[in-house]
Amino acid sequence: MKLSDKDLIDELKRRFDENSQALTELKEMASELQRVNKKLTESEKLKSNFISNINNEIVNPFASIVGLAHSLAHLKEGNWEKVKVMAKLIHAEAFSLDFQLKNVFKAAEIEAGEAAPAYSIVNIPEIIDRISEDFKLEALAKEIEIITDVCNEIDFFKTDVDKLSIILNNLISNAIKYSFKKGKIDLKVCLQNSNLEITVTDYGKGISPNNRDLIFDRFERFDSGINTPNRGHGLGLSVTKALIDLLDGHISFETEINKGTKFKVIIPNPGDWVKIDGFTGNPDELFFNQPDIF
Amino acid sequence: MNAKTHYLYPSALFASPEPYQITTILGSCVAVCLWDRVLQIGGMNHYMLPLWNGAGLASPKYGNIAIPALVEKLERMGSEKKNLVAKVFGGGEVISTSNSNFNIGARNIVLAQQTLQELNIRIVAHSYGGSSGRKILFYTKTGEVMHRFIQQTTIEPKENGKI
Repeated sequence: MKLSDKDLIDELKRRFDENSQALTELKEMASELQRVNKKLTESEKLKSNFISNINNEIVNPFASIVGLAHSLAHLKEGNWEKVKVMAKLIHAEAFSLDFQLKNVFKAAEIEAGEAAPAYSIVNIPEIIDRISEDFKLEALAKEIEIITDVCNEIDFFKTDVDKLSIILNNLISNAIKYSFKKGKIDLKVCLQNSNLEITVTDYGKGISPNNRDLIFDRFERFDSGINTPNRGHGLGLSVTKALIDLLDGHISFETEINKGTKFKVIIPNPGDWVKIDGFTGNPDELFFNQPDIF
Repeated sequence: MNAKTHYLYPSALFASPEPYQITTILGSCVAVCLWDRVLQIGGMNHYMLPLWNGAGLASPKYGNIAIPALVEKLERMGSEKKNLVAKVFGGGEVISTSNSNFNIGARNIVLAQQTLQELNIRIVAHSYGGSSGRKILFYTKTGEVMHRFIQQTTIEPKENGKI
């Protein structure tokens, strides 16, 4: 076969192009590798921070609960107001402990590959009410108002109530954490094309540009210096993200420094084929064995 | 066969000393079925991406975590690595792209081959690549795997997640 000069030059040109494209891809890969390497080193460091954090996060609330319960038991009769205050404090500490531990165990469950959705028909307004009620004390401490808005058309929605609660708890807890004093938080739930759309908006610090890519990583805590009053172990949003993935949903956020952050979560309707375990209002509802009263 | 059934979700892994029929549905994801020839037990994972890059949780959503985790899980049930054999499925290019960095299906398959080779676990059967999704059924007692191709539009487990 005879090649003309033009064919030859074209072929050469094509090969050069291919070469330079391969080189660009290689460069991209190399820089990606460097980035990942750095991240994994940091991840190890963060993991050891986590161990020392957890000490504060778990041991301290327990100590307060033990102390408060002790005082409660030794209170003089008729001091009803004091009892109520202490019970509220115990509840707040226990609630925060429960919340933290749920995140830790959920993270462990996800990392072990044992998390699976368990669908039921969920009373959405009831869940929203409960969550705003649960965080009332924490919000009150910073004089923050949580404004909930559940669209009229929503009553029941088929989803995993346990996972939905953890998602909402984390978003609200973060919103409180990064709000300024005397702020407000908007929690809005609507139906969008038969999917559940949740937005949580705070008007606080916002997320700095350097941190925007990191917020869903585990053990990442911003503003975690020794003097900050913020609690947490940096698992919340990574758990939130993984649970939303599990429900086939999507999370996105908009943020502006000192203006606030708006998280938007979409949880799809799982469709009719999904098996339902039952109706659920409150996942924390307790059932006790009733002794025979009759 | 009166084995219990388990529907395996993406990013999850499952193994049991009891006989199970594990089902899953794969697009570009890869599922590695490991079977212990001596104890006649097995397990399966279902990973979506080859490598964990430090983002999010270190979960079996990523092959480099899912495969060793499944081996460890079987080892905790008494398996020895030398008795394990693997069957690998999935990794179809359900969405076609031109950039080689995005060929997730192919990268998932390569990761399975490399990781299993490093672990000295033989791949005794496989069905991967191509452009369609797959539905697979793994009997952990016998090590048998049934599989059939599905069109993307039919990727939907029936009621109860069972077939």
